[in-house]
Amino acid sequence: MKRTLAGSLLLLTAVAGCGSDPEEPASGGKELEVLYKVEPTWPHLEKMLGDAKKQYESAHPGVTIKLTPVQGNNEAYYTKLALLNRSPDSAPDLYYHDTFQVNADVAAGKLAPLDDYLAKWPDWTAQFPDSVKQAAKGPDGKIYGVPISTDTRGLWYQKDVFAKAGLPVPWEPKTWNDVLTAARTIKQKLPGVVPFSMYSTKIHGEASTMQGFEMLLYGTPGGTLYDETQKKWVAGGKQFTDALAFINTIYREELGPKQADAHNAKLSDKNNFEWFPDAKLGIALDGAWTAAAWKPTSTKPWPQWQDKMGWTAMPTQNGEAPGAVSMSGGWVMAMSAFTKNKQEAFDFITVATNKQNSMTYSVGTGDLAPRKDVAADPKYSADNPSVKFFTDLASVTHYRPAFEAYPKVSAQIQEAMEAVTTGSRSPEEAAAAYAEALPGAVGGADKVLAP
Amino acid sequence: MTVTAAPHPPVTSPPVRGSARRGVLRWLLPLGPALVLLVLFLAGPILWSVYIAFTNEALTGSASVDSRFVGLANFVKLFGDPNFLNSFLLTFVFVIGSAVIGQNTLGLVIALLQRGRGRVTRGVVNGVVIAAWVVPEVVAAACWFSFLAEEGTLNTVLGISQEWLYTAPMLAVILANIWRGTAFSMLVYSAALSEVPADLLESAAVDGAGPGRRLLHITLPLIRRSIMANLMLITLQTLASFGLIYALTGGGPGTASQTTPLYMYEQAFRYFEIGYGSAIALVLLVIGALFSLVYLRLIKVEEA
Repeated sequence: MKRTLAGSLLLLTAVAGCGSDPEEPASGGKELEVLYKVEPTWPHLEKMLGDAKKQYESAHPGVTIKLTPVQGNNEAYYTKLALLNRSPDSAPDLYYHDTFQVNADVAAGKLAPLDDYLAKWPDWTAQFPDSVKQAAKGPDGKIYGVPISTDTRGLWYQKDVFAKAGLPVPWEPKTWNDVLTAARTIKQKLPGVVPFSMYSTKIHGEASTMQGFEMLLYGTPGGTLYDETQKKWVAGGKQFTDALAFINTIYREELGPKQADAHNAKLSDKNNFEWFPDAKLGIALDGAWTAAAWKPTSTKPWPQWQDKMGWTAMPTQNGEAPGAVSMSGGWVMAMSAFTKNKQEAFDFITVATNKQNSMTYSVGTGDLAPRKDVAADPKYSADNPSVKFFTDLASVTHYRPAFEAYPKVSAQIQEAMEAVTTGSRSPEEAAAAYAEALPGAVGGADKVLAP
Repeated sequence: MTVTAAPHPPVTSPPVRGSARRGVLRWLLPLGPALVLLVLFLAGPILWSVYIAFTNEALTGSASVDSRFVGLANFVKLFGDPNFLNSFLLTFVFVIGSAVIGQNTLGLVIALLQRGRGRVTRGVVNGVVIAAWVVPEVVAAACWFSFLAEEGTLNTVLGISQEWLYTAPMLAVILANIWRGTAFSMLVYSAALSEVPADLLESAAVDGAGPGRRLLHITLPLIRRSIMANLMLITLQTLASFGLIYALTGGGPGTASQTTPLYMYEQAFRYFEIGYGSAIALVLLVIGALFSLVYLRLIKVEEA
């Protein structure tokens, strides 16, 4: 009996030990935990943060940077971060954050406003353009993150495929119909080639919503998810249905990837590492960063890409002004409201987003550089002639309605897109289902505008 | 999801009334720490998840810091949700197909065929079947993925191009689960069959009963309680099965193989609706309990 008791007590002590504070290492120095994501084909952020850690630690003796990677895609990263953020004890001090998630965390009080620190950081006024500064602005007007990347979106096309299909190069589609016509020509002339690839299923998460649906919706006349003047979410409507109808046409006419590939989490790897280099794909609706898959910094470079690939803007539905459409998002480095060492944490942000590290990240990932000095540096665009084009798309770009409810709205959009992709619903039915689900997603029918 | 209650130690009433308190202390003291741990880590989370199921708790956003009590709203939404009903149907197909029919029958057949075989045969067959059971779910899923993928083993052998995981996702996960889980049923039935007296079977054979009649009228009735116990265990295991399906099809394409545990995961951890996810978990718990009740009832009927 004594032994049982002793054993139980031992267990209790062990359990009690779980609650100890992991923030402070035994040496007595300070530790900052930085959460970020990494994938086998996407090692660039890890490299950039590794450099930043070295620079920071040599300049700040007594502070250790603990880099905590999350292996997996964006969706896995959002989940891991949200779970860690549930408790101040497990929340990382700093994290790589997708801008569309920022407002939900601001509403929950998980993020620290940076304005007081930014005011004393000369780079903030000198190097970050005003449009970029908005990336992580909360509803209270405060800044909750320093941009690491920004982006635009457009069409990529394979010139060999176009030449073989008898399509003109350079290609400049003026309407959605021009895009569909080109895809139909490829399908007719080149069996075995995927004419047009886009993300349109739930497994691709926000990529489906933003690279896929919003690139269409914001190109329709007056198409938007959120009415800024009435401060309400738009429940479907003709523009919404038209955007879904485009996706429907792609899959019903078999102009897109096979269903199994449309539902494959690795579709982007197939597009960029296999199909484009093998001339098995004609057109892809994707982000500015796509070229990173082919550059010398990639895990699988494609040296001929500059000759073989073309890029052009996604046209508006019927060529309405301004003739092209783009969406912009990006990622920031954010600071937890729970961190005990705010000044030290902010100092790490300034190191991580300095010119050198920002350059490493932008060149590696192909994302557009938020800093003026990086954008102006010839090294930045040296291996990538597409950079200027995608940077200039900023003139026609749109931003997501970055409200707390947006991630839930996005989930409903993915639901509608997937139904149209598989053909389980017509565009009209899917739009109606979206309109019906919207009040639940945004927190009440009073926040919804009937189309 | 399903939790079988820890067996309570038999409490014998103390012989003398005055020492009742001492008697209680005698079993409570050594049991205390374990009880505290059980309440803390088993009952606590269950009660918390029951409570959460009646709130709008979320993983992020303002609802994650001040969640509200929403009454039965989550359950009302649940039973009107076509995706939930779809997942429920698929779970049913999955449990019946892979556990009740697949694992159960295959396990019994293998155990029957092994009777009276040499040690080497038994060793090899046991080894192979149990190996599938020993590998982690994710590894099993990876094996089946490479077997069924477009450039996978099956297509290469058959010389065809067929996206099995897209065209027949439920069949794929059911087969994978049978492959992985049969060992358990086989072990249960091997043990049960060794209890069937050989002389009974022999005398039946002498009386002219063929192998079919011997199985139907002697073996099966003698092992019926093992059958019920096995059915209950594998039903509960399969009902909560998550990793295998998640790694193999992710519930897709679309929602074609999204069983209730996967739907629950999607709502709770992908769309951050922890309250709604907990409501689904609670419903799943009730379904598991119902299954157990039916099986327990059947065993009782048999005993009476």
